[in-house]
Amino acid sequence: MTTTAKTALAGLLLALIGAGASPAQGVNGSLTASAALQAPIAVTGAIPLNFQSVFPGVTKTVAYSDVTAGRFDVTGQASTLVNYTFTLPANLTNAGQNLPIGSWTGYVNTTQSTSGGTAITPSAAAGSATLSASGTLYFYVGATVTPANNLPAGSYTGTVTLTVSY
Amino acid sequence: MKRLRYSVALALAVLAVARSAAAQRPITVTGLQSLAFGTLLPGVPTTISRTDPVRSGQFLLTGPHNSQASLVFTLPPALVGPGGALLPLVFGGGDAGYSQSLSIASQVGFDPRQRFVLTLSQRGSGSVFLGGAAQPTPTQRAGAYTATIILTVATYP
Repeated sequence: MTTTAKTALAGLLLALIGAGASPAQGVNGSLTASAALQAPIAVTGAIPLNFQSVFPGVTKTVAYSDVTAGRFDVTGQASTLVNYTFTLPANLTNAGQNLPIGSWTGYVNTTQSTSGGTAITPSAAAGSATLSASGTLYFYVGATVTPANNLPAGSYTGTVTLTVSY
Repeated sequence: MKRLRYSVALALAVLAVARSAAAQRPITVTGLQSLAFGTLLPGVPTTISRTDPVRSGQFLLTGPHNSQASLVFTLPPALVGPGGALLPLVFGGGDAGYSQSLSIASQVGFDPRQRFVLTLSQRGSGSVFLGGAAQPTPTQRAGAYTATIILTVATYP
C-alpha cells in the first residue's frame, strides 16, 4: 500500500470514529397535562325553620313554601351534579323536654323560589341535584311538630344538617 | 501479510459504513395520551400513577432497531389556568417508566427529572409512561388548567 493509500484509509477510519462519537439530532414529542379544578361547595343555613308559637296538644306544620320555612343556600361548581343528605332531629328540645318533629317536606331549586324546582323528602338517604349555571342551589325545608298536652312552656330547638358533596 | 492486514481493515471500514447507514432510520417521538389529572378540588392533591392506563401520559418512540437513545423530559412546574393561575405539579423519582414491549404492565421505572438511557426494541420501538402529582392550593381558582410536557430523544449511531 502506498503512503497515499495509507493516508486515505486513516482518514476514512478517523471519519468513522468521529461519526460514531456524535449523537444523532434529538427529536421532540409533546403531550398535554390537564386538570379541571372544581369550585368548593359552600352550604349556608340561610333561614331557620321557625314554628313560632305552638300550643300543647296542637299539631303545627310549616310547609316548605311558607315564609318561616328553613332554607339552605348552596354554592359550587356551575352546572355540576351534587349529592346531598339531611341529618334530621326527632325532637326539638328544651331543658330535657322533647317536642317531637317529623313529616319532613322539602324543595330544591336552582333559583331562590319554591316554584320551578323539585319537591323532595328530606332524609338521611342520598339525593342528587344539579347546581345552576351560576353555581347555586337552594333547599327549602318544612316539618310538623306535635306538642304533647303536658309539654312545658319554653323555647325548643333542634339542628337540621344538610351535607352536600360532588 | 501486509496486504491481508489492509484487506481486513478495509472490510471493517465497509462494515462500519454499512452500520452507520442502517442507523440513519429516523427516530420519532409521538405523544399518544395526555397526563390527565381529571377533576380536582381545592386543597386536595391528586397523584396519577405511571401505570394508570387511562390517565398516565404516554409517548411512543420509534427509531433504529436495538439502538440506544438518550431521553430528557421538559417538565412544567405547574398547570396554567384561568387568568394565569398556577396549579403546582410535582414529579417524583419513580414517576416515569419505559417499556420495550409497549406494555404499560412491564415498565422499568426511572426519574423523569434525570436523563435516561434506553434501548429500543428489536422492532425499533418503545413506550414511555409518565405519572405525577397535582397539588391545588386551598384557595385555587376553579377552571381548566393545562401545560405541555416535552420529551426529547436522541439516538447514538
